[in-house]
Amino acid sequence: MTDTPLHLGKSYPRRDALEKVTGQAQYVADTDLPNLTHGRIVRSPHLHARILRIETAEALAVPGVIAVLTHADIPGAKIYGDLLPDRPVLASDKVRFMGEPVAIVVAKTRQAADEAHKRVQVTYEPLPAVIDPFAAAQPDAPQVHENGNVLSHFTVCHGDTAQGLAQADLILEETFHVPRVYPAYLETEASQAVLNPNGTLTVWVSSQKPFHDRHHIAAAVNLPEEQVQVCVAAIGGAFGGKEDANMPVLAGLAAYCTRGAVRLVNSREESMLAHPKRHSGQLHYRLGAKQDGTITAVEITTHLDTGAYASYGPAVGQLLTEVAAGPYRIPHVRSETFVVYTNAPIAGAMRGFGAPQANFAIESLVDTLAHRLGLDPLEVRRRNIWRPGDFNFTRVRVNQAESTSLALETAAQEVARLKALPASPGKKAGVGMAMALQTMGLGWGVPDDSTNRLEWQPDGQVLLRIGAPDLGQGLNIAAAQITAEALGVDLSQVEVAPINTLLSPDGGVTCASRMTYMVGNSSMLAAVRLIDMLKEEGARLLGVQPDQLEYRGGQLLRLDQPHLPPIPAAEITSRLAEEGRALHSTATFSFPYGPEIPTDLGIGMPHVLFCLGAQVMRVEVDSELGSVEVTHATAVHDVGRVINRAALEGQVEGGLAMGMGFALSEDMILKANGQWVDGLAEYVLPTAMDIPGEVKIILLEQPESSGPYGAKGIGEAVTAPTAAAVANAVFAATGVRVHAAPIRPEMLIRPA
Amino acid sequence: MKPIEITLTVNETTHTLITLPNRTLLDILREDLGLTGAKNGCESGECGACTVLMNGAAVNACLVLAGQADGCTVETIEGLSKSGQLHPIQQAFVDAGAVQCGFCIPGMVMASKALLDHNPQPQEEDIRQALAGNICRCTGYTKIIQAVQMAAEELRHD
Repeated sequence: MTDTPLHLGKSYPRRDALEKVTGQAQYVADTDLPNLTHGRIVRSPHLHARILRIETAEALAVPGVIAVLTHADIPGAKIYGDLLPDRPVLASDKVRFMGEPVAIVVAKTRQAADEAHKRVQVTYEPLPAVIDPFAAAQPDAPQVHENGNVLSHFTVCHGDTAQGLAQADLILEETFHVPRVYPAYLETEASQAVLNPNGTLTVWVSSQKPFHDRHHIAAAVNLPEEQVQVCVAAIGGAFGGKEDANMPVLAGLAAYCTRGAVRLVNSREESMLAHPKRHSGQLHYRLGAKQDGTITAVEITTHLDTGAYASYGPAVGQLLTEVAAGPYRIPHVRSETFVVYTNAPIAGAMRGFGAPQANFAIESLVDTLAHRLGLDPLEVRRRNIWRPGDFNFTRVRVNQAESTSLALETAAQEVARLKALPASPGKKAGVGMAMALQTMGLGWGVPDDSTNRLEWQPDGQVLLRIGAPDLGQGLNIAAAQITAEALGVDLSQVEVAPINTLLSPDGGVTCASRMTYMVGNSSMLAAVRLIDMLKEEGARLLGVQPDQLEYRGGQLLRLDQPHLPPIPAAEITSRLAEEGRALHSTATFSFPYGPEIPTDLGIGMPHVLFCLGAQVMRVEVDSELGSVEVTHATAVHDVGRVINRAALEGQVEGGLAMGMGFALSEDMILKANGQWVDGLAEYVLPTAMDIPGEVKIILLEQPESSGPYGAKGIGEAVTAPTAAAVANAVFAATGVRVHAAPIRPEMLIRPA
Repeated sequence: MKPIEITLTVNETTHTLITLPNRTLLDILREDLGLTGAKNGCESGECGACTVLMNGAAVNACLVLAGQADGCTVETIEGLSKSGQLHPIQQAFVDAGAVQCGFCIPGMVMASKALLDHNPQPQEEDIRQALAGNICRCTGYTKIIQAVQMAAEELRHD
């Protein structure tokens, strides 16, 4: 390996860009299967209701209709779930949220399926519903499930908060509300499946976790997992929301029951109603501090609305519990979280997994503290921020504590620069910042492995098989660059195979900012093995000892006869092919946890690696309209090591835009007419008009010692602090402290 | 509902089709002509993923009924690259790193083409306005705006 990297840090275009700009990329709904039929899901129109009767005769009479499937038609498991099996594949006795699947119509045409799905007659007895997590946690609330609405309850205590609060000169008590955020990937959930003549099932998915999908599909149709093949199509965005097996399972079920090929594509409305959101909820803080800004204690009580089914809610609650006190050394902390069932849309994984909510609250609160004490918010952060050697309140040593102060000081310069800019006529300008605290990896106690397979093919190309999909964020190009770097070969020599559960190793779920780190590490391990194997096979075929060969840049050099030309790897692999053999290596990287990880916490999964940074926003507020324009944004993030610069910038820019939506416009609410916001006209996403005129990215490269070439995750940390930074900027501009996101104009217009 | 006959020219090929009148141009492109580059993101003109050019103007194909497309000339993403050569807008999207999940990209590229066909030297504000009806959830638009600027530059030199 050379000192000057061959590929690291370079902005290579991603491999699939060509097919995407020409319209050739095949998303699920772009590939026609022979004799394709179309499914349409019949969904609950009620928040909460008992199902009295399902009549299908009229739907079956629509010309072209092949079948109407209900829970009774499911041959295998009727319930599924990743953390907790609580979710019916199709509802049986009860519906618990609006949009819950009750039946599925399969027809020869899309039009027939649309028509027939309206003619499935479901008789409901509406039940009282609850959609507020705080109300749902009370004993007299309507019960969503039989065992109470509190799905999970975590408490982590460190020190003695009563004592800490007693030492404080000032105690702040504030409650923050965070919105129900829809991932809003442009491609709605889609899946198609075919029952093959030999009785096996092939399912195409747009999913973050094909191997989990295979498990749930196989269970539902009662087939062994090896008889279900899951293929990952091009994925039109995911952001956590495509960690839900509902569409793969329903498509698999429909194909299995009709013995055919079925396509299932959600409308935007179905996607919004029925697929996981970022948790909304309320976070209550009591924070004590000394006159000089030193925080003495914090008590946090959070209620998260997890909707009607668990999905990843408990894990989101755990992560939120861990990060709710921010990147600060606080001697006394109590963080308590209730994850509560309601009749709202299911909340689950979404970019940040609890951190954006916590970041919004704690970073707004630290700013408030500074204001109340008459101190500079930067100074209050400096006083409290993690220092090298610090442990967080879950007793995990913060290995990246230097990044926190580096990010803070870098952000401080940006604050000064942006504060100097004059406000536009008629506007009030303000600059605010927030620290980013995001964890990486799945957390201690959760299996967190990544297996890669490298195949050196006879033509000299190296095929990389990874087992968790690229959702569009650029995993495949990052993995190819790391692999090419480790092998010392040209990037064009490394190809990344599409994912297919028959051929790909199980790579778990694309999530938790873990992919570059996990896949990169396993690529490096597999590359080392592949090189050893190449030398062994080369030595055998050349009749020399392995130590007489040196590997360099895809070639073997003869140390015993240095005058001979180097032998390309293809020469060895093509000779192996003649013997009917192939050169391949497989390696698994497991997320490293040191022996010092505390295992006696109130939660089971402390995270041990952190993604740190800071964001600075400058806003201009129109005090008459209450409208907020973000004019400048600076994102400072420690990424360990840049692998693909353009892809990394794309993550920051996209994450920031998503954070701006959280800050200023996005909330999926239940309207006065009893219907959810279920379209993009009312659910307002940032457009090209909303993006700041200046987006400045400052990447810190503090190598992560356990990362591939020092790299670590970035996908989520970029979204976490944005809303607080905007809120703090709005406060600086207007003097109005908002306690809820999104910030609505009416919050900023002072009564005359 | 009675089927209607329509004739339209798509990417320089003329098609005569019998279709139900409640179908959209997007249905016709995707289901009848096999042109799946235009995407269905919302079926209500809110996301722009189905943007194509109709008589030179950017339209949401999901909002155009079959009868409205009768007699029209339609250009889709599939017609943009000639003889295997990417159109400068497509090349700029690749070079700028403006493509992530890619689902919005065909619509973005066509909306950009409509802009540059009519305004070869757009200001940044013109680009933002031209793309305001096209949602992208991945990129934060920054690199998309840069790509259109790069393409404009390139097209001026052609």
